[in-house]
Amino acid sequence: MKELVEYIAKAIVRAPEEVKVTEETDDEGVVVKLEVAADDKGRVIGRQGRVAEAMRTLLRVVATKESVRVRLEIV
Amino acid sequence: MEEIEISAKTVDEAIQTALEQLGVENDQVEVVVLNKGRLGLLGMGSEDAKVKVKLLAEKNGNGDVVKMAREVLDKIIEFMGLSAKVTTGKSETDSLLVTLDVEGDDLGILIGRHGQTLTSLQYIVRLIVAEKSKMWVPFNIDVAGYKKRRYDSLRNLALRVAEQVKRSQRMLTLEPMPADERRIVHITLASHPDVATQSMGEGEMRKVAVMVKKR
Repeated sequence: MKELVEYIAKAIVRAPEEVKVTEETDDEGVVVKLEVAADDKGRVIGRQGRVAEAMRTLLRVVATKESVRVRLEIV
Repeated sequence: MEEIEISAKTVDEAIQTALEQLGVENDQVEVVVLNKGRLGLLGMGSEDAKVKVKLLAEKNGNGDVVKMAREVLDKIIEFMGLSAKVTTGKSETDSLLVTLDVEGDDLGILIGRHGQTLTSLQYIVRLIVAEKSKMWVPFNIDVAGYKKRRYDSLRNLALRVAEQVKRSQRMLTLEPMPADERRIVHITLASHPDVATQSMGEGEMRKVAVMVKKR
């Protein structure tokens, strides 16, 4: 799941070297944390959150396949 | 260079409808207002607004960019842990577009409810390709023929509704649908002799109305 978010984020930001993605599990499921440069935050969120929403939708497919819950946090 | 002329009640509505028919955003066109239109008094002396909308960039898919799109799509499918084959073809539904077809087993998961996952997938791939190529190239992504089937049934629906509107002389509104689906309805009925189409509503509630054409 981490790889998917990392690939997408790196492709759409201006500072790919500052993209950091971590994946951890808590009692509610998997949390994917995406960290980008301050200037790139808008790009990974998108107008009205459209980019973030699309990433979440794709993540959910992977999670469904693996029978887990997933959350994407942009920090 | 492609251009179309559209009439509607107001200039804004005419521009919106034109953008939907062309399948582009407003930063990719040049708009010329041919007639500002008049609302008139009690429906008398009213005049439709008319605009000419011209595409700024050539709409033909550039081969390199299509190849790039295919690579991006391949990568995303791989990172999603799915196995599928992507082929490129001229769109059957729309001669201006290139379609990337994804075929494989158990791809329902990639389509999602009402095609929502497919919409997200296409959005992300277009975004990445636009960022990489600094160019806007129209391409569609289809999974297991989902869009083709959906577009076919929308075309049938549009023609049936047009007949109904013609018979009853009353306006009918279709269910809310996404931009690409509204576009199919607009295009299907664009050359219809008796009805006109127009989108109304905002965001997810935006829908197409089919009405009697003014003489």
